[in-house]
Amino acid sequence: MAGPLQGVRIVEMGQLIAIPSAMKWLADMGAEVIRLESVQRLESYRTDSLYHNDVEGDFWNRGANFYEQNRNKLGLTLDLSRDEGRDVLRDLIVTADVFAENFTPRVIRNFGLEYRDLRKIRPDIIMVSSTGYGFEGPWSNFGATGPATEGAAGLAYITGYKGGGPMMSEIPYTDYTAGEHTVAAVMLALMHRLNTGQGQFIDVSQTQTCSATIPEALLDWTVNGRVQDRLGNEDPAMSPHGCYPCAGDDRWIAIAIDSDEAWLALCQVMGRADWSADDRYRDVLLRIRHREELDKMLAFETRSHDNHELMGKLQAAGIAAGAVMDSEDLLFNQHLKERGFYEVVPHHPDTGMPPLPYASRPWKLSETPADPPKPAPIMGQHNRQILAGLLGRTDADIAALEEANVIGYVPLAPRGVRRPSLDEQVRQGRMQRYDTNYAERVREWFGIGEQA
Amino acid sequence: MTHGALAGVKVVDLTHHIAGPYATKLLADFGADVLKVERPGGDPARRLPPFHHDDPHPEKSLPFLYLNTNKRSLMLNLKTQQGREILLELISDADALVENFSPGVMAALGLDAETLHAHNPGLVVASVSNFGQTGPWRDYRATEIVEYALGGLMYIFGAYDREPLKHALHQAQFKAGTNLASATLMALYHQRLTGQGQRVDVSIQESIASALRDVTNNYTYTGAVRRRQPNHTGDLTRLRAVSDGYVLPNPGLGASLDWNILVDFLEAPALDDPMFDNASARLENAEALGEILDEIFATKQKQDIFYAAHQKRFIYGVIDSPEETMDNPQINARGYYVPLDHPELGEITFPGAPFLMSGSPWAVESAAPALGQHNGEVLGALGYDATRMAYLTASEVI
Repeated sequence: MAGPLQGVRIVEMGQLIAIPSAMKWLADMGAEVIRLESVQRLESYRTDSLYHNDVEGDFWNRGANFYEQNRNKLGLTLDLSRDEGRDVLRDLIVTADVFAENFTPRVIRNFGLEYRDLRKIRPDIIMVSSTGYGFEGPWSNFGATGPATEGAAGLAYITGYKGGGPMMSEIPYTDYTAGEHTVAAVMLALMHRLNTGQGQFIDVSQTQTCSATIPEALLDWTVNGRVQDRLGNEDPAMSPHGCYPCAGDDRWIAIAIDSDEAWLALCQVMGRADWSADDRYRDVLLRIRHREELDKMLAFETRSHDNHELMGKLQAAGIAAGAVMDSEDLLFNQHLKERGFYEVVPHHPDTGMPPLPYASRPWKLSETPADPPKPAPIMGQHNRQILAGLLGRTDADIAALEEANVIGYVPLAPRGVRRPSLDEQVRQGRMQRYDTNYAERVREWFGIGEQA
Repeated sequence: MTHGALAGVKVVDLTHHIAGPYATKLLADFGADVLKVERPGGDPARRLPPFHHDDPHPEKSLPFLYLNTNKRSLMLNLKTQQGREILLELISDADALVENFSPGVMAALGLDAETLHAHNPGLVVASVSNFGQTGPWRDYRATEIVEYALGGLMYIFGAYDREPLKHALHQAQFKAGTNLASATLMALYHQRLTGQGQRVDVSIQESIASALRDVTNNYTYTGAVRRRQPNHTGDLTRLRAVSDGYVLPNPGLGASLDWNILVDFLEAPALDDPMFDNASARLENAEALGEILDEIFATKQKQDIFYAAHQKRFIYGVIDSPEETMDNPQINARGYYVPLDHPELGEITFPGAPFLMSGSPWAVESAAPALGQHNGEVLGALGYDATRMAYLTASEVI
């Protein structure tokens, strides 16, 4: 048993999240993904968020984001500004089912890598381009980030505290929205190719994928001419509904009261029989009318509770409630552990990094599960395997490519980002706190070492 | 539909609310034949606001109309023996059954995967649920805000000194729905190659938790727990208020190589200082940098700075309202918003294709169905005559 996508070869010219995260999930499920990068232009995900915040030595092989996004891929360095580099890429595409990229169309056209170019050498190729605003159109060459498309799509505008300005999360959220839709799009194209034998071009606009997920707001405008207010954590049909403080530093619980039964159960768990007896709160319309005072009353009560313990009590009473989990809560969560959600990935011995857990995938396929994970490639790790093994290049060919820096194993201009000390990051508010015995805790919880 | 990537793929859709229906909408809009099986009273999403012209009618929920394009509707009571038998007939030649009941409900209905596979070994049985089909939290209750909390996105979302926040609307549901579509397609791909069916288990919590960039790695790599950020972190890409709205600045790669490019662009000599001229220094002097940037941006205008930035290949973004997205020249040039005819409500302008496929395009051929609109057509195809249908209707099976 192995993933359903065995036999599918993908050549990825990706960067950051949108394409790499999508191709990672396809790689998890059995596709062979050959990821291109270059020693000339070092991707920022290789330079920041480093293991032990260590910028010495081969730091580019120790970036958290790089490992997060590129699991299970083969790595080939290639300078596409050179004819020899583009020759290698064209030879690869002849063998490939899918070519995936997320550069601006300007770059792709300069390299002669548009769909119409590729189909001449591989007629049934599936090409997927993921851009901020779409491959065609007046903004097509505008570079974009996740936050920019969250803004252009309309999501950031309607998100935020009541009475406050627009807000967005601390991650490039819509990069993932695009990536998730890209997985679906590639699978649709593979299905179409099974049916017809034909490839095609997929043009993913990150903005459009995000807009597709906020139809309530967009249709409220197109049909009713209304622009929704920012509501914070309020839900128009539930009360109480929000995020309430708990005992400890920056500890919270989310509670959603979605029925009268849930309301009565809440009163009981919080030990406030007087609330359930109060006619002002007896049905949802009344509770919505008294939303602000209810939120204050509930926050006063939750304040003295541990958020996980309170969640357990509320859930046992049939109430939708969840501790607001931070990264430590997630990693050491029993439910996710029993689901096998975090997968321990070994690292290349040259990195000096122990095996570490990474988030896997949000799905499980009963008959075609994912194989045990392999780490993202260190720079140039599979150059020889791909050039000699797959493309039949001779040792002399490979030496010539190395000599000309068309391929390589170390970046030509390495510059790592050293973050301030953890104490300083906590002082600045970038981090909430830090553990000093984290390595032991991770090792014990995930049974790392026992496996070897 | 007879074209599209999924021409010939038959899906029996037991989903309701948002996550499941978004998955089957993606399948239907790319050509699958999706039969929506609704409980008596219909999909609860028919009661989701906002409504067409604010009329809270079960055929006028705008999210329902969006989520159920290209589907047919059969109203079927799965709690009756005849209802269950009809469902088993329907899956006998289906490729996939998609459901998002609470875990255990399908088994309670006598429709566990073993039973379904006994009727059709090639069937893909795809489920999406709050916490997955296994594990100690399997039966925990959740709504959108609870998924945000337990998925780990909420803790890092919002103002530094305020309560954690969620996105507006139902992002967790849409995210899980997208993932359900992908996972179902992977299982369908395997089925097309081998004939083998299987179970697909998608978790909404894990859909959030698998899309957090390096948040959990910050812990495994350094022991640090990331949190909601203060406004001044040395990060040049944080949302900033301008005189007429908000922009997302991003100087891109250029300015990290030559800081003066950014200083010149912002016309901000105060930034021409070794305190700020490289990434490590900016992290050390984050607060001072943030304060200067706030002052500078307050003097700018949204569209002006956006287009000026892109002339220099800085990757700035704008924050647009739903209204403004309709005036966006890019969104319009791509024909994103599409007018669709609804038999009762007339023309409605809908958000359109999430991505463009040249060989098997997205298409909406029919509006969301009225509740039970295709009862006769579906049962007729199974060989039920008018008498039998009248009996099933009278006994509240359909």
